[in-house]
Amino acid sequence: MSNFRANVAMIRALVRRSSNELLRVPGAAIPGVLAPTIFFLGITSAFGGLTLLPGFTTSSYQSFVIPVSLMQGAAFTGAATGVNLARDIEQGWFDRLLASPAPRPVLLAGIVLSASLRSLIPATILLIIAFAIGAHWPGFLGLGIALVVVMGMATVAATWGTSLAFRFKSQSAAPLMQAGMLLFVFLTTAYAPLDLLTGWLQDVARINPVTQVVEAARQGFVGGVTWGDTWPGLVALAGLAVLLSAMALRGMRRMTA
Amino acid sequence: MAAIETEGLRRDFAGGIVAVDGVDLAVEEGEIYGFLGPNGAGKTTTVRMLVTLLRPTGGRATVAGYDVADQASDVRKSIGVALQEAALDPLMKGRELLQLQATLHGIRKARGDELADSLLDRVGLTKAADRRVGTYSGGMRRRLDLATALVHEPKVLFLDEPTTGLDPVSRQAVWQEVSDLNDEGTTVFLTTQYLEEADMLADRVGIISDGKLVAEGTPEALKAQVGKPHLELSLASADGVSVSSEGNDAEEDKAEEVLARFGKLLPPRDGKLLVEVAHGASDIAPVIRALDDSGLAVESLDLVEPSLDDVFVEKTGQHLEGDDDAVDGAAEPEPAAAE
Amino acid sequence: MSAFAADLRVISELGRRSIRQTIRRPQLSAPLIIFPTLLLAIQTGGAGRAVQLDGFPQVDSFLQFMLAGAMLQACMLAGNSGGIALAIDIEMGFTDRLLAAPISRFSIVLGRLAGTAMVGAFTAIWFLAIGLIFGVPISEGVLGVIWIIALVAATALAFGGIGAAIALRSGKASVVQGLFPLIFVILFLSTAFFPANLMLAPAADIAEYNPLSFVVEGLREPIVSAFSGPDSLKALASIGGLGAIGFVTSALALRGRVKRGG
Ligand SMILES: Nc1ncnc2c1ncn2[C@@H]1O[C@H](COP(=O)(O)OP(=O)(O)OP(=O)(O)O)[C@@H](O)[C@H]1O
Ligand SMILES: [Mg+2]
Repeated sequence: MSNFRANVAMIRALVRRSSNELLRVPGAAIPGVLAPTIFFLGITSAFGGLTLLPGFTTSSYQSFVIPVSLMQGAAFTGAATGVNLARDIEQGWFDRLLASPAPRPVLLAGIVLSASLRSLIPATILLIIAFAIGAHWPGFLGLGIALVVVMGMATVAATWGTSLAFRFKSQSAAPLMQAGMLLFVFLTTAYAPLDLLTGWLQDVARINPVTQVVEAARQGFVGGVTWGDTWPGLVALAGLAVLLSAMALRGMRRMTA
Repeated sequence: MAAIETEGLRRDFAGGIVAVDGVDLAVEEGEIYGFLGPNGAGKTTTVRMLVTLLRPTGGRATVAGYDVADQASDVRKSIGVALQEAALDPLMKGRELLQLQATLHGIRKARGDELADSLLDRVGLTKAADRRVGTYSGGMRRRLDLATALVHEPKVLFLDEPTTGLDPVSRQAVWQEVSDLNDEGTTVFLTTQYLEEADMLADRVGIISDGKLVAEGTPEALKAQVGKPHLELSLASADGVSVSSEGNDAEEDKAEEVLARFGKLLPPRDGKLLVEVAHGASDIAPVIRALDDSGLAVESLDLVEPSLDDVFVEKTGQHLEGDDDAVDGAAEPEPAAAE
Repeated sequence: MSAFAADLRVISELGRRSIRQTIRRPQLSAPLIIFPTLLLAIQTGGAGRAVQLDGFPQVDSFLQFMLAGAMLQACMLAGNSGGIALAIDIEMGFTDRLLAAPISRFSIVLGRLAGTAMVGAFTAIWFLAIGLIFGVPISEGVLGVIWIIALVAATALAFGGIGAAIALRSGKASVVQGLFPLIFVILFLSTAFFPANLMLAPAADIAEYNPLSFVVEGLREPIVSAFSGPDSLKALASIGGLGAIGFVTSALALRGRVKRGG
């Protein structure tokens, strides 16, 4: 069998295996899937009044927050992937994969790809509920970009969670996996446009690459889709994914050192 | 070419722990090599280095001709591994696990499915194949783990304590499987805490203690090193009373005279007479006949052969933990100074 | 030694154990400080301009307004993580061993609650310290601080009771863990993060009657303005009510567990 076909088959098998977490553990997926929607409903009802501030870019706070909650769902999914991997390491399952001749990048791809696919589940639920309560329809292009960004963000979060799992080899690193990515997502223009953030957060959001990611996902919902608002987000995602994948791969190789 | 070869193999851990301390060994193709040692001796650490899960911090090792550090992926293609803690995913079904393992070895799906079926049959799990591993018993898990190690027909098979915690029947099944595989040409490196297992299965045994290989050889050769078999016997007097009480010194002297013809006399213990014999079981009949001829009746007779435990005690100064049969009797003498 | 004194010793011993657990299991303790702190930082940075909105209460800063909400959130998380720890004890059979011991059964629960209350008091100090570091004035001064710490400890005790009840009833850590999102639902439907008059309907209407709003207002008044008799009374009544629910349901759940035999 050609190497390429064999590698694709390995990735598929690993993705199928990790889907068991959702399909074979009743109820396990519910909190993770619902959390972003709950946050969405909570944030929008509590902070909805912010749109009254002069200079706010939309009158629908729901439309403004959708991309943030989408990113949050992706971040949670990625963190959960890290926690599951840590459990696999603790229980010795991962040794099975490491002792096999499967190329290490293929093992990482299997883990990360399943996170990226899985992140579409909380995203779908969130979007359905958001549209039901009156968020703007972003157009197919805007929606498509938002979903691509969701999968990209889940990839980034999964490589982050995976790096930490290789580093700590313990599920007790879970808060770090979750909190790290949530910070990345929320230290952006999550609650308000850049100009309306208070001093320090404005500075942080300006340099945080995830701000570009949130803005790329937001364009369809607030304003309109432009290439100029799209590419910085995609570049930021690609950069983070490459950087964190390299970190994760190094961590995986260290496992056998 | 040796299937496994190590030279000065060493592994340090943080905190100055030397888990494996300069091990040299060679396992020939087609051999079953038993790696015997108590808890914490360094068995698992050695295996993890040989299967490329842990880098040696000193020395070198080759498996199937490939260096474990520099040619790790070639090693991985040539070996099958069943680690100490059978790492199985409780959510997967037995068949799925075998299929996944086949895929990880780059085997095509159709062929992988076939292999899964035949391996399930081989280890007697066909009925349980479509049940989740979480519902398997300990013995079933071990057999499944063994099956996953065989998917790609490895040249060298590593089994880390494959029978620890199994009941005698399950243990027998694993032994049978290992020896069948070996008959088919697979080289087997097996660690164990059970003397019986090493004795029964292994062509050669290495004893590891505190990270060092302290003895190596066939079980027979190792046992011969620590001593010859001896007979332990007590006499019955004419009236059926045991001779051990005073007043029968004359009979005892006579018996010792007879026994001395067969081999070296050892000091009596617990009222029993001890004599070394050259051949073991085949010496029993002549000894009884000779005593009988001298008018002496034997009340009880035991043939005591050196065990691997004696080897163990001699080489390490301690009994092998985890083997209940090993530490028998009250009268174990203080072990000779450890080498 | 009287039976009562013996019970007290058991309670304090188990309380100390639960605090040790909180410290030693970072996966349980980290979220209950880290999450409210992060959320506090994010929300003050992201929604800080809200103080300029017409109708926002008179405050020194948004952080001053938010401290009470962060404390309440930490209390709820402390109750939740205490429940998780109790459920783990049940899963591991530790609780059975205690139930078999000749001690008052309810002191097993009280021990854990004592620990949770201590953790609550600690979070109050933590967030007051954060306020202090970032220059937030506490209007009622030292007296206010003492009042707040006591109120937060009582709140943690009340939520600890609810967490314990769920743990005793279900006996499963994953069930208690699953309540995590629910905590945020109830919080967002209160005035923990934003004044009710500026929230959107229907959340605004719910927040008006949510007992958590009363608790948070009771904590907030001495920080942002001054003690207010009615607000303090409403807070105490709400905490008392929540506490009563927690105690009664956990007593019932404990009885059920003993009857079922573990
Ligand atoms: N990752 C590690 N870090 C530190 N020390 C280790 C590590 N792994 C093993 N050790 C130490 O190395 C020594 C050998 O351990 P090893 O697991 O190889 O023993 P073993 O012979 O397999 O024992 P057992 O029969 O209990 O499985 C022990 O003292 C152990 O504590
Ligand atoms: Mg071991």
